[in-house]
Amino acid sequence: MARMKFLCDAERCIECNACVTACKNEHEVPWGINRRRVVTIDDGHHGDEKSISVACMHCSDAPCQAVCPVDCFYTTPEGVVLHDKDICIGCGYCFYACPFGAPQYPQEGAFGARGKMDKCTFCAGGPEEDNSQAELDKYGRNRLAEGKLPLCAEMCSTKALLAGDGDIVADLFRNRVVRRGGRPDNWGWDTAYKEQL
Amino acid sequence: MKYLLPIIALFALSACYEDTDVTIHEPGVYKGKPDSHVKSYEEREDILSTRFQQVQTDR
Amino acid sequence: MKLTKRAAVSSHKSNGVNRRAFLKGSGIAAGGAAFLSVLPPAMMQKAEAAGEQRISYDDGEITTKRSVCTHCSVGCGVVAEVQNGVWTGQEPSFEHPFNLGSHCAKGASVREHGHGDKRLKYPLKKVNGKWQRISWEQAIEEVGDRMLSIREQSGPDSVYWLGSAKYSNEQSYLFRKFAALWGTNNVDHQARICHSTTVAGVANTWGYGAMTNSYNDIHNAKAIFIIGANPAEAHPVSLQHIFRGKERGAPLIVVDPRMTRTAAHADQFIRIRPGTDVPFVWGMLWHIFENGWEDKEFIRQRVYGMDEIRKEVAKWTPAEVERVTGAKEAEVYQAAKTMADHRPGTFVWCMGGTQHTIGNNNTRAYCIFQLALGNMGVSGGGTNIFRGHDNVQGATDFGVLSHSLPGYYGLTEGAWKHWARVWDVDYEWLKNRFDQKVYEPEAGLGEDGPTEAGKSPMYTNGIPVSRWIDGVLEDKENIAQNEIIRAMVLWGHAPNSQTRGPEMKAAMEKLDMLVIIDPYPTVSAVMNDRTDGVYLLPAATQFETYGSVTSSNRSVQWREQIIDPLFESLPDHTIMYKFAKKFGFAEALCKHIQVNGEEPLIEDITREYNRGMWTVGYTGQTPERMKRQLENLHTFDKTTLRAQGGPCDGEYYGLPWPCWGTGDMKHPGSPILYDTSVPVKDGGLPFRARFGVERDGVNLLAEDSFTEGSDIKDGYPEFTADMLKELGWWNELTAEEQKEAEGKNWKTDLSGGIQRVVINHGCAPYGNAKARAIVWQFPDPVPIHREPLYTNRRDLVEKYPTYEDRRSFYRLPTRYGSVQAKDFSQEFPLIMTSGRLVEYEGGGDETRSNPWLAELQQDMFIEIHPADANNADVKHGDQVWVDGPEGGSIKVMAFVTERVERGTVFMPFHFGGHYQGEVLRDKYPEGTDPHVLGESCNVVFTYGYDSVTMMQETKVSLCRVRAA
Ligand code: SF4
Repeated sequence: MARMKFLCDAERCIECNACVTACKNEHEVPWGINRRRVVTIDDGHHGDEKSISVACMHCSDAPCQAVCPVDCFYTTPEGVVLHDKDICIGCGYCFYACPFGAPQYPQEGAFGARGKMDKCTFCAGGPEEDNSQAELDKYGRNRLAEGKLPLCAEMCSTKALLAGDGDIVADLFRNRVVRRGGRPDNWGWDTAYKEQL
Repeated sequence: MKYLLPIIALFALSACYEDTDVTIHEPGVYKGKPDSHVKSYEEREDILSTRFQQVQTDR
Repeated sequence: MKLTKRAAVSSHKSNGVNRRAFLKGSGIAAGGAAFLSVLPPAMMQKAEAAGEQRISYDDGEITTKRSVCTHCSVGCGVVAEVQNGVWTGQEPSFEHPFNLGSHCAKGASVREHGHGDKRLKYPLKKVNGKWQRISWEQAIEEVGDRMLSIREQSGPDSVYWLGSAKYSNEQSYLFRKFAALWGTNNVDHQARICHSTTVAGVANTWGYGAMTNSYNDIHNAKAIFIIGANPAEAHPVSLQHIFRGKERGAPLIVVDPRMTRTAAHADQFIRIRPGTDVPFVWGMLWHIFENGWEDKEFIRQRVYGMDEIRKEVAKWTPAEVERVTGAKEAEVYQAAKTMADHRPGTFVWCMGGTQHTIGNNNTRAYCIFQLALGNMGVSGGGTNIFRGHDNVQGATDFGVLSHSLPGYYGLTEGAWKHWARVWDVDYEWLKNRFDQKVYEPEAGLGEDGPTEAGKSPMYTNGIPVSRWIDGVLEDKENIAQNEIIRAMVLWGHAPNSQTRGPEMKAAMEKLDMLVIIDPYPTVSAVMNDRTDGVYLLPAATQFETYGSVTSSNRSVQWREQIIDPLFESLPDHTIMYKFAKKFGFAEALCKHIQVNGEEPLIEDITREYNRGMWTVGYTGQTPERMKRQLENLHTFDKTTLRAQGGPCDGEYYGLPWPCWGTGDMKHPGSPILYDTSVPVKDGGLPFRARFGVERDGVNLLAEDSFTEGSDIKDGYPEFTADMLKELGWWNELTAEEQKEAEGKNWKTDLSGGIQRVVINHGCAPYGNAKARAIVWQFPDPVPIHREPLYTNRRDLVEKYPTYEDRRSFYRLPTRYGSVQAKDFSQEFPLIMTSGRLVEYEGGGDETRSNPWLAELQQDMFIEIHPADANNADVKHGDQVWVDGPEGGSIKVMAFVTERVERGTVFMPFHFGGHYQGEVLRDKYPEGTDPHVLGESCNVVFTYGYDSVTMMQETKVSLCRVRAA
């Protein structure tokens, strides 16, 4: 069964932030909230500097889901971790639980009332009718329902960020690793999906 | 979860009982609205894997 | 549990600070901060970014439009979804051969252009220090009257027409024609300050001054050598192609003063001192010659003058290379060996090489390196020069330049006559449009050698954009034109991308009138203290009109119009027409161009230049062919760029110029320049015969080398009608063609017959010659090293001095030696260099006004090494003053990092809106101030211009950093 996954190839990520602005563009995320961001470690050191694009990784056994006091999270059949903003109380527990720092809490703006948690939806909207105005307002676009994959990955400048069925993503990535002969540099995969590539 | 904490707290207060286990949060049952889709799961899977090949591969 | 923590722990060096640490209101730090409700900066700034309209699914039927990103020369395809005239969605253009759907931050956010919150919304003028709304009619009348009276009093050269690389090809062409009809060569654009030294150096080496292969062709490179370029930030999608080459086994070598984001991915990174490219390249060649790795057969057949290069290279022993550049012998040797072992290798450069007083020497040295290894004219090799703006290649080709006409025809009488014929205007009338005085000849050397004595201004190079301020500030007696510049038109130009900020401010204030035509008010509107005589006219972006655009690899792509011009803005060509009408030459401007209302028809402009651009082969790209390619993007191969099957079968994507002959000839375009393994009719070419047939008894034509299928099995000069007669090919022209071609050559025969017949015989219209390793008409025929004007290596000045001052160069006195003579190195100990950030482009007015981008880069900063920071008692994140040796000072944030070497500092150049510590936000017309403002590094950058093209020196100067 297909399970949607993100993978960021650190060998290819150049920290161009296309994923970040693509996300802003697709969902009109307000200033101050980033569902996705690029993190660079050892900035400025040749040989060590690495960048990776991070968002909600849609974990197999999602810690946010485990800790939520109101049980607003659910995992779709595709393995996308979503939540219902109508019952979210913005307590912030999921932020502590998430190993990737994905949940954020806008204080106002387009994503519903103050304090509701907002995070990457894997461009799969939320528990509203597909592509309805309510879904758009609360969660952003639903690309999966349109037969498309997350825009951040679809627009990645170097095709470092991949998003899709985990098996297909892993196949493509393994090919790449074999071709360039080296250690797979796929940060976060084990943590999120509890398995080796 | 919502109920777990008070219960643990109650226990801790009512008796001098020391639990050495770590509290593990069990996921509850989703309480939000159901998320339904127009297309079946299988249909979506097909469409999305074609899409992946079209857009994200090195061609 | 947070990523920052993890990063901080694994960062064993104390300075592994993330650039995003500067991010306010976003990024990791802010993720937590948001939760803790301590978000002061973000919340403060959020108010400005609010007001975005939510889009809706019910806004009507979706129509899809295809355009091309307007932010760099990669030319990524953009797919826009429009509902009821509103740009509501952006999708990946995954069929596009250049980007395969990808974008960088800029391209992924172009839909924001459709919001246009911060745009200039209607014409404005400044009255008593206040912006006042006026109508277009009033604007054209007032500005036009003022210009006409200046023209009357001081001559046409007193109005300066500064154009733009943001124009489409059609607009570029129309603009150059417009300036000619106004009667001046004082017209220029950003190519002057980005790749002019490339164009001059490279064209004078082998014919054309452009990228020889393509981004996609880098897939085939066996080695990738990047010097003075940071494509990971400046051309991000090009990295996709570079990585594909790299993953196929090509080693990636990056040479730069700074450990750039590109260098981070390099197999070998070599740091050099800024401004020492020639010594470094000669250092590599030293090993190549020493070990006999050069391609001797290639050099014998196709290169002139390599022996003289050997003599110069012999001086650059490893010890001397290390003394001057700082690169160690082993490093240089390894790079040279890698390049020798992995052929063909590609050679990439950008502003790090071009923006120097010896920029033309640098670019020629790069070319010579590739010639020595025989890396030219092959797939995977070439000099892959990444151009900057989306259409800087096109605007250069269409001659928005003070020293040429469209198609690099120059400013000779023949050139003018050619274009007068294409335009169908009377040559004598045209001549009378110019100042009738005789101007002083050029004392220095221009790109095409010395201009002849005592010529009409029609034939002398105009003042280049890099020096317009001197055209205003110099004494009249010192300028080789009738009068100083009195009115300045900045039409799509960011003033903060140019050096000598304080002097520019003075120049703006001295002008009679300042006219800014742009989608945004730009820094020009606020950096001066004028209270009157400033006009802001709103221009539309390229998403609000249509036409063609040339990407770096010479591919010409068609853009569709996505939305109507926003607010009261107008497309550039409409504005040109309005002014032409006011000046009384609208009819001459559009004699063969249909005008709808006041908008000249784009397709007709294309057709007109198709009739005249023979030199560079912009003749086969008809509107119909370009549009057909746009419909069939999916048929093009993503590596070779050739269409397989479909309606475009056999064509290369974008019909990369030269696309010879008329459209009927169906030439597929030339994807790889100087590739002799392919017939000319399929895109092959030899080196161009541009410099005569022999010199001092040495043959300049190719020897035993010719394109596949050539009827002439050796070198040959460029073709003329007479040559065709001698060869017995004349009768292959139709009677009509013969009539037109009589007495003409391949560049001036408007029928295209000469090109057609010659290509049928497998020959290149422009001849078949050797590339020149020495350019005898340049100040340094053999590229040599010269220290920058502001150098702190005083020990090297005597051995590698700069040029002598010149009295008249592009009409202006130009200083070299007199600047270098003074030692600033004690007072200003740090080497200062500049460059780009991925989120912003150029002067940044457009991108800093885009909230999706602006949020990611909110502070102007200076990168400084920990040692220098400690010496100045400055900590990471502190505000500091940066003082330049010419008096400018800016206040910026210190970014302490080992990305730069000790002794060198780096600043991005996209910021503006602060001036020497003062915030100018209030000076913007209401609602047009960009989200992010900052100091412009060019306020402290200094004097210095290339000896051939007047390129500004922005890559080496000196400064001092002190705590604020
Ligand atoms: S700026 Fe350049 S690389 Fe980025 S999307 Fe635009 S064209 Fe592509």
